[in-house]
Amino acid sequence: MSKNTKNTDGEKEKNSSAETNRRPEPAISIEASDRQGTSIDIPIKAKKLKKQQRKKAMNRISLANILLISAVFAGGFVYVTLLPHETKADDENRLLTKFPKFSVKSYTSGDFTDGIADYFDDTVHARADIKEFIADMLMPLKGMKYGGEKAELYGSGFEKPAAAATTTAATTASVRTLTTIAVEQPTTTVTEPEEDKTADGELTNNILIVNKRGVNLYGGAWGSEQEYASYLNAYKEALPNVNIYSMVLPTASSFYLPDEYKNLAQSEKEDFDRIEAALGNVMSVDAYTALEAHKDEPIYSRTDHHWQPLGAYYAAQQFALTAGVPFPDISEYEKVTLPGYVGTLYMYTQSATLLNNPEDFVYYKPRTNVSVTQYDTHFGNPVAADLLLDPSQMPNSGYYMVFGGDERIVHVNTECRNGRTLVIFKDSYGNALLPMLTSSFEHIYLCDIRYFDLNAADFIRNVQATDLLFSMCSFSAVGVNRYNIYNNLIK
Amino acid sequence: MVFSRLFFIYIFLPVCLLCYALARGTKHKNTVLIIFSLIFYAWGEPVYIFLMLATAVVNYAAALFIGKYQGRAGDTAATVTAVVYDLLMLGVFKYSGFIVENINALFSCSLPVPDIRLPIGISFYTFQTISYIIDCHWEKVKPQKSFKNFLLFLTLFPQLIAGPIVRYSSIEKEINERTILMSDVSYGLNRVALGLAKKVLLADQLSLIAESFLGNIGGSTMLGAWYGAIAYGMQIYFDFSGYSDIAIGLGRVFGFHFYENFDHPFMCKDITEFWQRWHISLGTFFRDYLLYIPIFGKRRKYGGLFLVWLCTGIWHGASWNYVIWGLYYGLFIFIELLIGKKKMKKVPVFIRHIYSKFVIIIGFAIFYFEDLGKLGTFFRTAFGFGKNGFVAVQDKISLVNNIFLIAVAVICCFPLIRTIKNVTDKRFAAKATISSAAAVVSALLLVITSIVLVDATTSPFLYYQF
Repeated sequence: MSKNTKNTDGEKEKNSSAETNRRPEPAISIEASDRQGTSIDIPIKAKKLKKQQRKKAMNRISLANILLISAVFAGGFVYVTLLPHETKADDENRLLTKFPKFSVKSYTSGDFTDGIADYFDDTVHARADIKEFIADMLMPLKGMKYGGEKAELYGSGFEKPAAAATTTAATTASVRTLTTIAVEQPTTTVTEPEEDKTADGELTNNILIVNKRGVNLYGGAWGSEQEYASYLNAYKEALPNVNIYSMVLPTASSFYLPDEYKNLAQSEKEDFDRIEAALGNVMSVDAYTALEAHKDEPIYSRTDHHWQPLGAYYAAQQFALTAGVPFPDISEYEKVTLPGYVGTLYMYTQSATLLNNPEDFVYYKPRTNVSVTQYDTHFGNPVAADLLLDPSQMPNSGYYMVFGGDERIVHVNTECRNGRTLVIFKDSYGNALLPMLTSSFEHIYLCDIRYFDLNAADFIRNVQATDLLFSMCSFSAVGVNRYNIYNNLIK
Repeated sequence: MVFSRLFFIYIFLPVCLLCYALARGTKHKNTVLIIFSLIFYAWGEPVYIFLMLATAVVNYAAALFIGKYQGRAGDTAATVTAVVYDLLMLGVFKYSGFIVENINALFSCSLPVPDIRLPIGISFYTFQTISYIIDCHWEKVKPQKSFKNFLLFLTLFPQLIAGPIVRYSSIEKEINERTILMSDVSYGLNRVALGLAKKVLLADQLSLIAESFLGNIGGSTMLGAWYGAIAYGMQIYFDFSGYSDIAIGLGRVFGFHFYENFDHPFMCKDITEFWQRWHISLGTFFRDYLLYIPIFGKRRKYGGLFLVWLCTGIWHGASWNYVIWGLYYGLFIFIELLIGKKKMKKVPVFIRHIYSKFVIIIGFAIFYFEDLGKLGTFFRTAFGFGKNGFVAVQDKISLVNNIFLIAVAVICCFPLIRTIKNVTDKRFAAKATISSAAAVVSALLLVITSIVLVDATTSPFLYYQF
């Protein structure tokens, strides 16, 4: 490769050598030299020959170089155009980009052309295998793992007020709604959230991998825990005759950080205590202590940001105790083990450590008969459903696969006859609670705080709920998801 | 369309190269290049392409007038018209929002802030047309008579959207007639592979570090702030110089010789030298066209200097931090000018290296923070007045996790290829060996870069879905 660093020099060189070649060759007039028979001219000839040979050799190298790179281009062209395109990414839990539809609008906005490029970039054949190769073979080349715990850090920063750009709009919108309503209803006890001025406080996206376990680092509530508590108090004000419980769930951040790494996360326990102190007539359920007692059992997933169903069992037990309802022993469930599970934290980090250290996903099927109806988020279009999905039908097993999605309302009618009806408002952590409470309440309604299109108080009255449980992980209770709790009350 | 995506590397480029190879003669090759350049630009800007074409027409016509009325009033009129038009377009499309916002802030009024999206590459192609017009006016070049040829100069896709700012004078002859040697093509292709690798394997990976530590500067320690700023500086260098490598490489494949845009800037010993090595085409543009505007009279030397740096700053973006950034460099160059070259040279080399790297790293931090409040936090943190102490475990983990990446990045800031070439060029066997090795290494880099690019569409690291 001729790496001319200064083009002008290169050009001059090129021109001057061309001139030399074109020049007549009196100095090496071959016939004349031959006639004399002297040996002087032989080296000249050899030199010229050698020069020509070298030039030829360099040209051959250049040609080989061009052919080699062209082969890569050609191979790549065939690979990205002719080989079958992938349609979904199981590890990312999403469908891949589809070829865009043409319209004048999509063309003029640039979406159409962008969409074509995105389509080819996103649907590369054997994408999952290539990504595994990157995680396994290429990314580890960046450095080493830190310390005896083999720590790896992923994420966008370490400050509390991260608030990823994507959440800002939603936050602002919610704030606006809240403020308007607060003016209309001056009696409300709600702490109006202000535009994250308190925040020093939002959650970050950091994940630490230590001892082959991924941990979302909890960034602290920084005042938003007061908002959470005030929203629940507003529910109690609206529904004075319903028992209302708050069970905020800790995450792996509380239990699995080695000492050296503890100050990377804030204390969930301290925020929970502050929530408890701020709750009025809402009963607080201490899931933290219940889970902490069992932290050496597999109650949290190592490769997923969720807990394991066993953790949900212990939390549900604590809730049943507080609510005064029956609760079966775990032996009364059928235990199902799905080996080889690699969860969402791998998707977020692409860490080879998680990829190469899958875990068992263990869940528990109640033996009692239940009838399950699934509704849309307006509580319409009922369809019969299963309590748990069959993961053998799924490409990869795990939390979402077993417990299903969040955009729905689920009604479970159980064999329990205590006259109590429970409504659960939850995030995806709460999905794992449902099977654990099927012997404790006659009716259970499972609703997601983020996907609920009715007035929550009306809904709770309509289904004649006796008990209302708010159960979500700390990130939802103090993060942007919290706004939905109040917005659902004023819809 | 950007270069560092599979669609460009494996669909657009191969098809373009194939058509270019099949086209016979310079005229047909030029046609192929114009068509692909327009497709390339329209891919990202289906509407603003008309703005670019309008700019092409205006400047082409103005140059013809300049040629016709050389030295007369018509010449000046055409020159002024074209330059004003170019600057006006740049002003409207790049700075109107910024200007209105500042007027609103200054006079406490509330004029509607125009929401105009920045047309891709307008900063670059505007400067190309301005340099062309002024060169015509100064009779350094003859106005291009063929619109097709002028369009080729302006739209040539390798350099269209991110430079280098190619002067018409540098490719004037090659537009009409060029010989493409085998060594040019192989050199160009290797250079493209190298540029892609710099962008994808180094810059994009370094950006993760920079984002972690500067993106949330309020949580960073003192060490973290410096670590983030250094990573960011290297990220920008590999990103931008990688892009220039691709542009220069593709240009060479097509038979054009663009000037170098970067010359190992971190090897500089002072700030003046840094700017002789960093984004050279921009520096020379301002030197040649702005510094000689006789508006400062006798004080032109210093007045012009700060004008150049004010413009350099604002050219990089419509935000105050860029203005500060430009003037910051202007200040150091001014100081170096006062001290004088001779005295500067007396300072021990290692001290000059430390001084220049220190100024440059701080410069990158200024460049990073469009939010001046956060820039303030950076300064407090970096100089020991932050709230998070000197070092924390996240710094150590990140440093260890990325230690090889950083080592390779630092090594790549040195002029490795040039050094190797200087040594091996003296002996044919060594030269042949290294040329062969370069071919293999380039192909390997291209393959690895492409593999890593498959991951680029992985859904970004967003807020968790709990």
